[in-house]
Amino acid sequence: MKKRRINGYLLCGLIITGVLLLAALVGTFYTPFDPNAMNGAEKFQAPSFVHLFGTDNFGRDIFSRVVKGSGTTLAIALATVAIGAVVGTLVGAVTGYFGGVADDALMRLNDALTAFPSILLALLVISIVGPGNKYNVVLALGIVFIPSFARVTRTAFAGLRDVNYITSARLMGAKNGRILLVHMLPNTVRVLLPAITIGFNNAVLAEASMSFLGIGVTPPDASLGYLLSEAQDKLSRAPWYALCTGAVIALLVFGVGLIGEGLQKMDREVA
Amino acid sequence: MKYALKRNLMLVLTMVIVSFLTFLAFELISGDPAEAMLGTEATPERLAALREELGLNRPFLVRYASWLAGFASGDLGVSLHYRQPVWDLIAPKLEITLCLCLVSFALITVVSIPLAIWSYRWTGTVFEAVRTAFNQLCMAVPPFFTGILMSYLFGILLRLFVPGDFPDLRDQFGEALVHLFFAAVCLGIPRTAMTVRMMRSTVIGEMQKAYVRTAISRGNDRRAVLTRHVLKNSLTAAVTFLGQTMAELIGGSVVVEQVFGIPGLGRLLVYSISTRDYPVVQTVVVILAFWVVLAGTLADLINQRVDPRLRLGGAA
Amino acid sequence: MKKKILAMILVLGMLTALLAGCGGSRETPEMRAEANAITIGIAQDLDSLDPHVAVAAGTKEVMFNVFEGLVKPTSDGNLDPAVASDYSVEDGGLTYVFTLRQGVKFHNGKTVEMQDVLYSVRRCAGLLPEGGDALIPALSVIADVQGEGDKLTITLSEPNLEFLAYMTLAILPADYDQQDTAPVGTGPFKFVSRKAQDSVVLERFEDYWGTPAKLDKVTFKIIEEDSGLVRGLQSGALDLVSHMTSTQISQLNKDAFHVEEGSMNLVQALYLNNSAPPFDNVLVRQALCYAIDKREIINMAFDGYGIPLGTSMFPSFGKYYDDSLTDYYPHDVAKAKDLLAQAGYPDGFEMTITVPSNYQPHVDTAQVIVEQLKEAGITATIVPVEWDSWLSDVYGKSEFQSTITGLTSDNMTARKLLERFNTQAGNNFTKYDSAEYDALFARAISAADDAEQTAIYRQMERQLTENAANVYIQDMADLVVVRNGVDGLIFYPLYVLDVSTLYWDK
Repeated sequence: MKKRRINGYLLCGLIITGVLLLAALVGTFYTPFDPNAMNGAEKFQAPSFVHLFGTDNFGRDIFSRVVKGSGTTLAIALATVAIGAVVGTLVGAVTGYFGGVADDALMRLNDALTAFPSILLALLVISIVGPGNKYNVVLALGIVFIPSFARVTRTAFAGLRDVNYITSARLMGAKNGRILLVHMLPNTVRVLLPAITIGFNNAVLAEASMSFLGIGVTPPDASLGYLLSEAQDKLSRAPWYALCTGAVIALLVFGVGLIGEGLQKMDREVA
Repeated sequence: MKYALKRNLMLVLTMVIVSFLTFLAFELISGDPAEAMLGTEATPERLAALREELGLNRPFLVRYASWLAGFASGDLGVSLHYRQPVWDLIAPKLEITLCLCLVSFALITVVSIPLAIWSYRWTGTVFEAVRTAFNQLCMAVPPFFTGILMSYLFGILLRLFVPGDFPDLRDQFGEALVHLFFAAVCLGIPRTAMTVRMMRSTVIGEMQKAYVRTAISRGNDRRAVLTRHVLKNSLTAAVTFLGQTMAELIGGSVVVEQVFGIPGLGRLLVYSISTRDYPVVQTVVVILAFWVVLAGTLADLINQRVDPRLRLGGAA
Repeated sequence: MKKKILAMILVLGMLTALLAGCGGSRETPEMRAEANAITIGIAQDLDSLDPHVAVAAGTKEVMFNVFEGLVKPTSDGNLDPAVASDYSVEDGGLTYVFTLRQGVKFHNGKTVEMQDVLYSVRRCAGLLPEGGDALIPALSVIADVQGEGDKLTITLSEPNLEFLAYMTLAILPADYDQQDTAPVGTGPFKFVSRKAQDSVVLERFEDYWGTPAKLDKVTFKIIEEDSGLVRGLQSGALDLVSHMTSTQISQLNKDAFHVEEGSMNLVQALYLNNSAPPFDNVLVRQALCYAIDKREIINMAFDGYGIPLGTSMFPSFGKYYDDSLTDYYPHDVAKAKDLLAQAGYPDGFEMTITVPSNYQPHVDTAQVIVEQLKEAGITATIVPVEWDSWLSDVYGKSEFQSTITGLTSDNMTARKLLERFNTQAGNNFTKYDSAEYDALFARAISAADDAEQTAIYRQMERQLTENAANVYIQDMADLVVVRNGVDGLIFYPLYVLDVSTLYWDK
């Protein structure tokens, strides 16, 4: 086996994501300004040294809001991916390994879920959990993400099912659960890891789209997506608002994307 | 033949499942069509009368069964909000969204496949890093953000189209196409980047396989191996991925239609959900399900042409 | 071979792009001026086109130009005869007699006959032979409708001075069953076409009985997305948009547009659930009134546009409006804290503000209120909900603590605005419960003369303010952006947009 070398992509990705993560972490207890404090005298200020990203229609400091908002977005995205990955892998494992009727049924359900409008799903979750709850978005998005994880892992598990060492393990009397967990799961990490990074990115974007359509987090506490949706009807009045917020979203997704790229490259080099 | 039968059965099954789930969702979410229709004019008496008129007082399963029976016999019902036959409402929107998705799909296919092959040549050079970074960037920018920027740049500044004023698809086809083109680009950029990335890694994976090494060591031209064997073998993955793209485009179109002011299916869906106009939502959702399954089926059929091994039914 | 295919695909792609690059001619404001037509942007789609069935304020706003009643509201808040040429009130408001105007035509060319008027009134009152409920609940007071010659006599079951305002109900042809899709009325504009979520087109009705409209064609373009309206104006697709925010307006080119300011004629307030703690305590409600600074809200979220209100009535209702109530509760945080301590909440409390998320001005207002309440030690959380959930949970079931919305009136009666706080009202979503108020209301609706009735209504308004039923904020400004060259806009005390007076000033 070759020596594991940190490659450029991974390094860049880790740096970008790390910086953003740190900023978000710091933002949970310190921001230059109170992110929700209004100031009627400073509406729509262009970016300056005092207000790095300028101010919005209430004179709130956009930089502080973005820092605070990225924390919310990160938390939502991580939780969403966690739900999607865990449940998706479970579904994928069962359907891929056992096949048969369960496989068919679950895959139909998967198709149906893909066609099911995510807005309706979000409304459904909200009316069950109750409005004004941050976990609504997480839950709704988590469910939306299950099918894509299930599909990826199912293929991986189905591919491994008839490989020699699995067959041998089965002949040696290993239980199905043990085979799935000990023998197969580690071997699906190769497909799972990139799926997680892509999933994370999709979660950030999906959260933003949902806020954009008006069903997201609660104002005044904002996520990046909510901020962007607020910014978009002020585009020609305060272009910095949309640009700064959009850029941070892009940077976040970009950073994680690079990590994914780096991991894949490492994987190839190892193989 | 058996395969076709199985596929059709799956299609119907998926559509029934999704329509049932939608109906169930409407049962569970707060607000019903009567409340949506009466708005702040609602009083308990008027609500009761309207619910009676719309047949909302019947048990859930009875309503679902009657909807399903109607749908099966080709009667899609009448929109509660618009008081128009559902099909008359949906047909023009469907046309627009189909156009949007097809233009976008064409752009993705036409751009991504050559780009993937081309970019393979750069492996190991400085360009590769630049390209990879650019590719990641394309995936990172949310479509509605590019949408806002593009409609500002091309719409307001360059006046190539009028954001918010979508021309009639039949009367002004050219202009409508311009409008759709920009929306399709927004919709397609991240997907194109993903396809390039996926194609590239498949090609790389394939190039490392033993048969390629053998072919090259036997003195075959690297390029010939690439085009003759590797590409063909990577094609199945590409087709499957494009099938998925086709399915997911229609979901992505909701947001893009909102940004560009295109009166398509996605916007109708969002609006109909907010007015609890369930006959419209039901039909749209079934169309979406049909679309998703159809895209998968088409991808499978093409793959079976390309790779005869798949015809044995090994992979469903 | 493969290469050729590739090349061909590439060429094909370029062709598409090229084709896309050269769009044909687009409609410009100049072309519309030439054709004597304008395009108006509206933010929401219409519901039913049948005027008796439609409830959305946005629908009534547009269809005001297509339909008319026996009488018609004017811009100064009076009712002018329309399909009727004359009317009289007899027996102290028990009987109303209308004389039909001769030769009024429907858009389909038929003349308005007595049977059409009878049909329209009976349909709304639920008196058609085939039965059905009253489409307009207030019309259930009608005991009998009779037509003889050109005289229409409506007898009520009890005297009602405000009944005339309901006779603005649209007169429709009796034997026509396509109002839903191709409506026919008697107004200055006739309906031409509608595309869902896209547009509604009206054309001047040449056989209109009154002053003909000045424009030939009016297109209402539906653009649901906030920034779409701004972009539509900037790009030349739209000529006029009403109900804009000052932020939206600040993005427009000052040389191409002018802004006309009217008022929305609604009562925007932080409506409180008077039946649930802590707002069942009048001291807490009053504390909230002192803690919230309505003028700061107007300055902060509305750039100073808007008229502060102190009760459930707005200035354009003239005689009913009592201006002295506006500053009944001046902004006073210390007083608010004092009242909270008296009420048993010395350290404040936590509350939620439910806001319909589709309407940004209410969301913005909520954000300012949250900040203001912080100073008084109250922690408020905003709960954005989708409009239909709001209708169902907040408006229908009163499952809320506080909410921000704007309540309007679709006719010129004070009753419409004040009835909802009486315990008997089906739409008393704030659960305001006051025996004194109920008694006043009962007296008001059966009052025999107008002066007495007005006095009682004003008393009711004062009662609402003194008991701090809700935290009243403002009558929001209606900012209408008009393209230079378009003129003739007039404002009504109702939520309507009269396009018959608009014209291109060439």
